[in-house]
Amino acid sequence: MKVCIACGMPMEKLSDFACGDVSKEYCVHCCRPDGSMQSFEEKRIGMINFTIKAQGFDEQAATKIVESNMKRLPAWKDYFIV
Amino acid sequence: MKTKRQLQKESTKAKIIATAYQIYSEYGFSATTARIAKAAGVSHGTIFVHFPTVDELLIDVIESFSSKLAIEMHDLADREDSAENLLCTYLDILSRYENFYIHLISEKRLLPEDVGLVLVNMQSTIAFHFNRVIKREINSRTVKNIPVHMIFNTWMGMIHYYLMNKDLFSPNAPLLKRYSEELINTFLELIKNNQEVSQ
Repeated sequence: MKVCIACGMPMEKLSDFACGDVSKEYCVHCCRPDGSMQSFEEKRIGMINFTIKAQGFDEQAATKIVESNMKRLPAWKDYFIV
Repeated sequence: MKTKRQLQKESTKAKIIATAYQIYSEYGFSATTARIAKAAGVSHGTIFVHFPTVDELLIDVIESFSSKLAIEMHDLADREDSAENLLCTYLDILSRYENFYIHLISEKRLLPEDVGLVLVNMQSTIAFHFNRVIKREINSRTVKNIPVHMIFNTWMGMIHYYLMNKDLFSPNAPLLKRYSEELINTFLELIKNNQEVSQ
């Protein structure tokens, strides 16, 4: 089973994939309206805002959570190499 | 194609993770690697060949648990269109990992930060499904218009309170099997917009 390289979501159904295209490595939530994958910064901000909204966390804590998650994802892990 | 040696290495690593999961479920995260090695039938040194530090072992075990839970939630919650079905699905999945999860939430503060963050990320996955279903129910006015994060946190607070006090609520039997129905019904009673439904 494929897992989205940009957020880690399992992709099984056609509707899970960006543009319903199973050859894509990223999911419907990580693509832009034109079908391309969101950038690191777009994804980072989007996930921080979603974490605050869905769980009510403090912004600093939400940032730490999101970055720790992104560090483990194939699409973003190189951004964290110091 | 993988060599026989690579396959054997992967199989040993998987066995260590599965055994560590069982040991941590029973004894908590202070259980020693020597105990895990003995139960897995490998030498103590073998554990450190695969996991140079205890933290790496902890992260792999919790990540393996977390991705299993995320996949099960994704499979089932995606089909759920009501808050009731979502809550039932969540507790049904969680009940299969009850002991491990109790140790995880009780000992989170004692675990290294990176390890604790794996748990928090797993809860974000649950929040994602929760958000999707609850928002739809708020829009259709079947659930009260309360901020989604407060509905989620109230639910998690209630579930965690019961799990962390298992010794008081259900010392000798699985807790979620015993209380799921009552917890779900009570929570739904609190969040459902009964007035709208009856109109």
